[in-house]
Amino acid sequence: MKFHSIGAAALALGLSIVPALAKEPVLYTSNPVPAVEAVQAVAKEKVGASLGVITGGSGVLLRRIEAEAAAPQGDVFWSSSANTLGAYEKFFEPYNSPELSAVPASLRYPNNLFQPSNVHLVTMLVNTDLLDGVEAPDSWADLADPAWKGKVIVADPANSSTGYTIAWGLAQLLDKKTYEALVANMVVAGSSSSVPKGVSMGEYSVGLTFETNSYAYVDGGQKELKLVYPSEGTFMTADYAGLVKNAPAGDAARKTIDALLSKEAQIELLKVAFRRPSRSDIKIADYVGLPELAEVKVAPFDEAAAAKAREAFLAEWAALPKAGDTE
Amino acid sequence: MNAASFRSPWFWMTLAALGLLALFVLYPLVNILSASLFGEGPSGWSRLVSTPKYIEAILNTLILASAVTVICTIIGVPLAYVTARYSFRGKALIALLPLITLVIPEVIAAQTWLMMLGNNGLITKAMREIGIRLPSFYGWFGLITSMSFIYYTYVYIGTVAAIGKFDVQLEEAAQSLGTPPALARIKVMLPVILPAILASALLVFTMTVGNFAISMILSHRLPLLSVVTYQAAVAEGTSSITMQSTLASVSVLIVMAVLFVNRWIVSRGRYEIVQGRGARPVPLKGLRGALVAGSAGLVVAISLLPLLTITLGAFTTARGPVMQWGEWTLDNLARVFVTAPEPLVNSLTYAGIATFISIAFSAIVSYLVVKKPNLVTPAVDYISAIPLALSGTVLGVGLLAAFNGGWLPLTGTPIIIVLAYVIRRMPFGMRNGQAVLHNIPNSIEEASISLGVAPVRSFLRVVLPVMLPAVASAAILTWTTTVSELSASILVYSGGRETLPIQIFRLIDSGLMAYASAYGLVLVAVILIPVVLANRLFGIDVFSSK
Repeated sequence: MKFHSIGAAALALGLSIVPALAKEPVLYTSNPVPAVEAVQAVAKEKVGASLGVITGGSGVLLRRIEAEAAAPQGDVFWSSSANTLGAYEKFFEPYNSPELSAVPASLRYPNNLFQPSNVHLVTMLVNTDLLDGVEAPDSWADLADPAWKGKVIVADPANSSTGYTIAWGLAQLLDKKTYEALVANMVVAGSSSSVPKGVSMGEYSVGLTFETNSYAYVDGGQKELKLVYPSEGTFMTADYAGLVKNAPAGDAARKTIDALLSKEAQIELLKVAFRRPSRSDIKIADYVGLPELAEVKVAPFDEAAAAKAREAFLAEWAALPKAGDTE
Repeated sequence: MNAASFRSPWFWMTLAALGLLALFVLYPLVNILSASLFGEGPSGWSRLVSTPKYIEAILNTLILASAVTVICTIIGVPLAYVTARYSFRGKALIALLPLITLVIPEVIAAQTWLMMLGNNGLITKAMREIGIRLPSFYGWFGLITSMSFIYYTYVYIGTVAAIGKFDVQLEEAAQSLGTPPALARIKVMLPVILPAILASALLVFTMTVGNFAISMILSHRLPLLSVVTYQAAVAEGTSSITMQSTLASVSVLIVMAVLFVNRWIVSRGRYEIVQGRGARPVPLKGLRGALVAGSAGLVVAISLLPLLTITLGAFTTARGPVMQWGEWTLDNLARVFVTAPEPLVNSLTYAGIATFISIAFSAIVSYLVVKKPNLVTPAVDYISAIPLALSGTVLGVGLLAAFNGGWLPLTGTPIIIVLAYVIRRMPFGMRNGQAVLHNIPNSIEEASISLGVAPVRSFLRVVLPVMLPAVASAAILTWTTTVSELSASILVYSGGRETLPIQIFRLIDSGLMAYASAYGLVLVAVILIPVVLANRLFGIDVFSSK
């Protein structure tokens, strides 16, 4: 084990010093390690070369693509939301992947500049151990009851795109009184990852977060946790991949996008990272214990309007009283 | 200054050192200050004053730092006193204390505290059973508790050294003049050890102001200076750096004020112990012994808890983010060494190079400062101490501001990570080197030169060998603090260049505690192995000089 590890370390050191000789496509990705590993094997098979992977926050990677625009080092970016990618449109080129035929038209980005690689649904993650005899919530309106004060955790919309999607969506969906009562019950966390963590550790009864984050804890075997899709409807947002303009790997870069959109990759991603596919030809129940998209009521969500109103909305949000303030 | 000194190699070397320090220490600092005043958009200072969140962050940071400093002193000084003056069962354990702060990544300490005292922590639940509701660990309670239990060791180390040097005859004299023993100690010993206590307390204060990892995890909605600086840096990126620079400048000003206070206290007079006879530890037995051993042991046990957590976590199976306690595995460690060894390799490479550079630089420059003073020496001496006043976050912002594009584009390269390491830790080597050189008489080198050996050769052949043991111990200390550096490197690193602390921070953030523990355990090993080897093979006690 010890010598093996030293060998591996030495090997990795050698690799990092000697630049890759083959023209293998380089993937810039903000996705967590298990998700990347899930698609890597599929990509290797489909592209015929192994992927070089650079990980980092999506903001950091997009700025790097911007900085490298004159001489691109990366080929494919994977993945971020439309409202984040909007500011970086000019560093990407459209690609009409043949795999897009399996993706519903409603998810497509104008001109196929970006390719939808998966979708996110907002869920309530409920810790049933902490309910103290109270019914689990079934709707957003339930959570507006003062009984939930300080028991609902959400990510700060100013720092997290997940938090922004939820807050903006709720403001559009609910009437003003219910919305403000719900916000008054919320505790705001600094980052989106502390939301499911807080609920799974039993620190909060309900966490508002994406399915992909919350289901990982259910799948991990925490029987006291369950997902609730609120009856008024929840919010859906897509994650996009993009082909970097003048990608050095050329055709292999396009094939990498094809691989990311392929049925095999999306199934792997669903199984490992619980990312809901953007394709409509995958039956969810065959792989994980999540409901089909058709069974979930999805409220309309206007990404463009959400992006446009951002500053004003965040100012309003900051002024609303929340549960964390009084403590 | 005469013409001959311009011909000496030493003068030109001092000048070169000054040039390097100006480029890599002064220039980034000047960049921060100027960006805060003249950066893009409205002036950073006017935005600072008009944003309640920033003002709140500054006040909170000052309150937090004061509270942590007071508590650290309350824990650290008595602990130092009982260890220095008494012997009791389990005292040897307390020798482990200095190691703890260096070895345990702060992120893991914070996570462990959450497992104990979080909303669903073991202690929180037990207290709730008996009807006591503890306040939420996120915010003041958690920040003060966890930082106090990490930083008190600095007060402990500083005080233990001072008490050790205290001449017990003074105390005996006071007693023979009729002062009761307890009062004699307070009246005679306290003034002598007070400067050491104050100096270490101020160190705790500045470290709390600069603390990044624990603040990020536990502050939640409570704005703190280091957190808002980091958030501003992430939001602004490197194209417009006004706000992050302004916030970083505030932190520099706070620390400068603290250093000023420190100087003032030191200058107000000092009691010198000319020739000390340390007190023999008095054995404590019976109830008193048990009480002292029990409370000292408790403090140590609490500090060691995170180490236990990561050791268990590293070998525990996890399904996604959920730990399956009781099921054991080697998979987590296999990931560290086989599947994803890049963070380990990066850490070893960058910290190795940085340690080498900073030790070589500080050995040469301390020699220049102590033995070959000239016109520019004071500037070299002063500038090389500046990094002590910069928190990691401030240094990171400064490096990004100075070396993003322009004539020396370093962002996105591994060089900037190594640079951040070297700048942050070089002052320790400098202080160590200077202290050693003051004790080496000039005569041995002069003898060498007068026998016809060239000056540089004399340095290499005569002075360097004498310095070597101290240099080795400084190298190990630099290594341990460099390899665990997080707050500066997390700002300047780029994709694919994650180090162990960065990887641990990110894994804990995504809730993958098992992997984080495995990387954490390897980090602890990487830190401890050189310390233990140095001790066993060469008899170097790395912590004796501190």
